[in-house]
Amino acid sequence: MAEALPSSPLAPAADIAVHVRGVDKTFGRGEAAVQALKGVHFDARQGELLMIVGPSGCGKTTLLSVIAGTLEFDTGEVDVFGSALHDLPPSEITAFRRRNIGFIFQSFNLVPTLNALENVSIPLLINGLGRKAAESRSCQMLEKVGLAGRERDTPLQLSGGQQQRVAIARALVHEPRLVICDEPTSALDRDNGRRVMELMREVARAPGRCVIVVTHDNRIFKFADRMTEMDDGRVARVHDTHETYDGSHH
Amino acid sequence: MYRLALKMLFADRGKYVMLLSGLVFATLLMTQQAGVFVGILEWTKGNLKNMRAPIWVVDPKVEQVNEVKALRDTDVTRVRSVPGVAWAVPMYWGILQARLIDGTFKPVQLVGLDNATMVGRPSRMVAGRIEDLRLPNAVVIDELAVERLSRGRPHPIGIGDIFEMNDKEARIVGVCRTEKSFFGYPYIFATYDQALQFAPKVRKMLSYILVAPKEGRTIEEVAAHIRSTTGLMAYSEEHFGISTVRWFFRNTGIPTSFGMTIALGFIVGVAVAGQTFYAFILENLRHFGALKAMGASDGLLTRLVLLQAFAVGAIGYGIGLGVTVLIGSLFLRKGMPPFSLPWFIPVATLGAILFICAIAAAFGIRKIRQLEPAIVFRG
Repeated sequence: MAEALPSSPLAPAADIAVHVRGVDKTFGRGEAAVQALKGVHFDARQGELLMIVGPSGCGKTTLLSVIAGTLEFDTGEVDVFGSALHDLPPSEITAFRRRNIGFIFQSFNLVPTLNALENVSIPLLINGLGRKAAESRSCQMLEKVGLAGRERDTPLQLSGGQQQRVAIARALVHEPRLVICDEPTSALDRDNGRRVMELMREVARAPGRCVIVVTHDNRIFKFADRMTEMDDGRVARVHDTHETYDGSHH
Repeated sequence: MYRLALKMLFADRGKYVMLLSGLVFATLLMTQQAGVFVGILEWTKGNLKNMRAPIWVVDPKVEQVNEVKALRDTDVTRVRSVPGVAWAVPMYWGILQARLIDGTFKPVQLVGLDNATMVGRPSRMVAGRIEDLRLPNAVVIDELAVERLSRGRPHPIGIGDIFEMNDKEARIVGVCRTEKSFFGYPYIFATYDQALQFAPKVRKMLSYILVAPKEGRTIEEVAAHIRSTTGLMAYSEEHFGISTVRWFFRNTGIPTSFGMTIALGFIVGVAVAGQTFYAFILENLRHFGALKAMGASDGLLTRLVLLQAFAVGAIGYGIGLGVTVLIGSLFLRKGMPPFSLPWFIPVATLGAILFICAIAAAFGIRKIRQLEPAIVFRG
C-alpha cells in the first residue's frame, strides 16, 4: 500500500531512525542552477531496510548524501537517530558520521594498496582504536562476511563479490547505527547480490539499526521492508512493500 | 592510521619511486654543488691554511690572500715597532715556473720563510727536516709537487733530487703535506733569502709580513694598532679568510654559477616532487573522500598527507645525502674537484627538502580540504 506523504513538519516518532523535513538542495548558480531536492520529506525506521528508488537524476544520491551528512543542504531539517544534523557544526557532523554511519559505495572504494584487513580496520582506526584491537575486530568481521583466510589479500586479488564483502565488513566493523548503501549490487552478479542483500537485511534487523539502500537493481527490491520512490527531486510515493512498486519509471 | 597512510604511498611503486628520485636528485644537486662551491672557497684560502700566522700585514689595497702588492723590506721593522707586536717576519709568495727534467715547465707557488724562525712553515713534513732549508739552494716541496715535477723521471722526485726554477738549481731537502689552493699549483718552500734568489728581480719583493701579538694583547687590537700606526693593512687570519671569500663573491662568476645550479636543484625538486605528489593525491582523491565520508576529520587527513610528504622527503634526503657523501669522499680521495661539507650545507638542504615537501603537501591538503565527502557517491 502506498502511504500518504506528511504535509507538515512533525516531531520524529520514537522508532524513527532518519527524519527529513522540507529539504532543498540546489547545485550551481544562476542559469546553470539545478535543484536536486525540492522540499523532501522522508522517514526511515529503526530495524528496517529501506530502499530509495527512482529514475536517474531524480535526487536519490543527493538525498542519501544529505542523510549521511556528507553534503550540506540549503534548507530543511535532518534528524538522524535524534541528532539534528542541520544544527550541528561541520566538525560535529564529521564526528557523528565517524561513530554512527557505515558506508557501502557503488564502486567499493577500497584502497587498492591496502589489504582486506587494513581496509576493514580504517573506521576503527579513525575512531581511535589501537592497531591490534582494530585488526582483531576486523578479522572477526571478515570471518562473518565469509572472507576468513583472505585478510592479507589486496582488493586486486579479490573478485568483485569478495571486494563488496570487504566493503560491507568495513561499513559494519564499528557497529554503526545507520548503514548507507549506494548501489551496493550494481557491480555484482545475481548470487553475490543476493548474499549481500541477505547480509544487509540481517544487519537491519539488529536492534537500533537501520539500512538505507539507493538502487536501480530490481533484482533486490524483494529485500526491502519499504521503498521510497523519488521523482524530480521529490518523494513521489512510499511503498510499504516492494510488491506495490512496479518500477515503471526506470 | 598513520601506518596505513605510509603504506598507501609506499605501495604505489611508480609514484613513490618517481617522488623519491626527484627528492634524491634535488638533494644530490643542492648538497653536492654547495659542497664543491664551499670546497672552492676553501681552496681560495689555501695560503692562509698552509702558512699559519695570527696577523697578516699587506699593502692597504690588498683585499684577498691570493693577490700580492709587494711591500718595502723596511716595513718589517716599522711593524715590529708597533706596540703590542711580539714578532714580525717577512714572507715571500709568488708563482714561478719550475723546469722539469724533460724540459717542460710547470707553474709552482714559491714561499719564502723567515730564515731564522721559519714562521709559516708547513705543519706536516712527510720526509726530511724543515731546518735543512738553511742549506744552499734547498727547497721543501709538497706532495702535489712530487706528482707534478716527477714527469720524465724514472722514479718520483724526492730528497736529493734537483730541478730548476728561473734558471737556478733547487735541491729538494724535504717533502711536506699541504692543503690544496685555488690555483691548484704545488707549493715549494724555501728560506726568504733563498726565495729571493729564485724569484725574478723586481724593486720590492716582500709579499706579506706575518705578525703575532704580545701575550695579553688581542689579535684584533694589535691589527688595529698596525693599521693606524703604519698605514698598512693588517688582517687577522680569520678576517683575511672572510675578506678573501668576499672578494671571490664580488669579483668572480663562481657564486652565481653554483647558485644557479643549486637553485636548479631546488626547482627540479619542487617540480618533480610537487607534481608527482599532487598526482598521487589526485589519484587517491576518491579514497581520501571515502575516509572523509567515514568520519576522518580535515585535521587527521592533513596530518596523514604531511606524514606521507615528510616521510618520503626524509628518505629522499637521506639517500641523496648518502650519495653526496660517497661522491664527495671519491673527490677527496682524488683531490679533485674541491669538496667540503660543513654542517650548514646538509642542514640547509634538509630545510629546502622539507620546504619542497611542504609545498607539495600544501597543494594536496588544499584539494582534500575542499573535497566534499559526497564525491564518493558520484559514479
